[in-house]
Amino acid sequence: MTESGLRNATWRRLHETAAASLFALGRTDGLVVAIVTGTGYLLGFLWATNSLSARFGAGFGWRLVDDPFARALERRGPTSFEPVAVVDAGIATVLLGPVDLAIGFGLSALVALNVSLAYLALVQPSSCGVGAGMGMAAAVPALLSGSVCCVPVVLLVLGIQASAALLTVLPWLLPLGAALLVASLVFVAGKVDPGNGL
Amino acid sequence: MDRRLSRRGALAIAAAGIAGCLDGSDAGTGVYDGNGEGNASAAEEMTATPDEDSIANSPVPIRDEQLPVEYGLESLREAVVRGVVPRDAIPSIDDPEFEPIDDVGDRIRDDDPVFGVRRGTDAKAYPQAILVHHEIVNDEVGGDPVAVTYCPLTGTAMGFDRGETTFGVSGHLLNSNLVMYDRASETYWPQMLATAIEGDLEAASLVEFPVVWTTWERWRSAHPDSVVLTEETGYARDYDADPYGSYNPVTGYYGEDSDWMFDPLEADDGRPPKEVLLCSRPADGPLAVSLEALRERGVYGIDRGDRDYLAAYDSELDVGYLYRTDDAEAFGADDGTVIGPDGERHDPGELLLEAVYAYDAMWFAWRGFYPSTSVHD
Repeated sequence: MTESGLRNATWRRLHETAAASLFALGRTDGLVVAIVTGTGYLLGFLWATNSLSARFGAGFGWRLVDDPFARALERRGPTSFEPVAVVDAGIATVLLGPVDLAIGFGLSALVALNVSLAYLALVQPSSCGVGAGMGMAAAVPALLSGSVCCVPVVLLVLGIQASAALLTVLPWLLPLGAALLVASLVFVAGKVDPGNGL
Repeated sequence: MDRRLSRRGALAIAAAGIAGCLDGSDAGTGVYDGNGEGNASAAEEMTATPDEDSIANSPVPIRDEQLPVEYGLESLREAVVRGVVPRDAIPSIDDPEFEPIDDVGDRIRDDDPVFGVRRGTDAKAYPQAILVHHEIVNDEVGGDPVAVTYCPLTGTAMGFDRGETTFGVSGHLLNSNLVMYDRASETYWPQMLATAIEGDLEAASLVEFPVVWTTWERWRSAHPDSVVLTEETGYARDYDADPYGSYNPVTGYYGEDSDWMFDPLEADDGRPPKEVLLCSRPADGPLAVSLEALRERGVYGIDRGDRDYLAAYDSELDVGYLYRTDDAEAFGADDGTVIGPDGERHDPGELLLEAVYAYDAMWFAWRGFYPSTSVHD
């Protein structure tokens, strides 16, 4: 395939992915699946990054740090930045960090689209070879990447001991997870036919 | 490790028991132990000495005498787990704010652990729930610039004079222990060793001061004039959540039998890994005293040949103190006080003896750094 042919094929596939995504979100069942999985993943991401802890009796209130704009850009991990506010919401306490939230929303959107498209591909009789587990499997590395802000915590959660190899891999989990999610989305989008209005 | 009572110890117990029968008191028996079996000889002790010019220009106060280190600096540097988190990703508190005890309300529960410092006329408490998220507080206590430090993975709270600089969390770990760095010379200081392993001041040792690990209820009872670190740290953290577990009640990583997360320099399966002992590293060899034994007996004497050591239990704060003395056998305990050779009662924290720096530590971490430790329980 020539360079221009490759470029055209890539653009065509991205166009198909965008069209399939819009198609999925335009259907009620596809939208519901996307919202449920996206919300669930976001909560999981916030929990894994130590930004969300469920606790009855957390009370209600919030606290903003001094100079939040400067604080928000301070790194606390390779792909994690400082939170600027603590929100107590009755049953949970949430740390709000603008950059981490943006990363969380981006990953959640990718996961939501993946699962929504996989769902549609499954309910379309013409599709084949697509499982809903694929998008979710791709989501796991990104979820674990949340741990890079606090490596010992994820080691506790996973019940494993640290090794040099693991510590080397952890910072790459988020970009790896995001790349897998995009690849999975493009793949699954090719299995959905927006013209097939089920 | 020597779990047996020495003959002198048994005699001391018998004598104290008879005395207790005679005077009807419930005087503590105390115990007088031999040096125990040091677990091992360190294969390679530190031989490096600090650079004199660097010390002369050091922004950090340096001890006159180097502290004992049972490994060569190169092997320690090789054992450092680097970049567990980025530097300062666990942010030190550099502008701490305090409030009086009366203003705390229910923010701290009675049995929550706090780290207390009494220096000059100042008494300050640092809640463990806050320090687990920051590990270092660059503060002034009694008019002196100090760093109050806490490593959750080794269960160690220690104080250091910091001079003109501040300390930060390097993000490295050595033997699971916090490796601090000073922001002026960028020298790396493992907290428990208190001796630099890398940088201009390598092989130099910090000036330490004791930090009392007790509970909120005990501290405020003993020091009602104390102030307490607030949650206004400049950072957004959930101070009600400890990422490693809980001390009230004890769960998770802090459980006595739970496993370590990073392999220690030297492992020992003879005791629960997270058992907390009163540990010290005087020049004539490291020692560790079981807190359980100390609580039970009130005082604990250790025979080291020329000189003795005496551990004394403070029931008010539930902490141990260590002293050097000519004859530890002459001391006893009764009702929370130490009875001296002259029969007079003394506060366990204020004996007129040479105080020896000692701190509580999880056994696996202490054993990793000081394999030749004699254990007394």
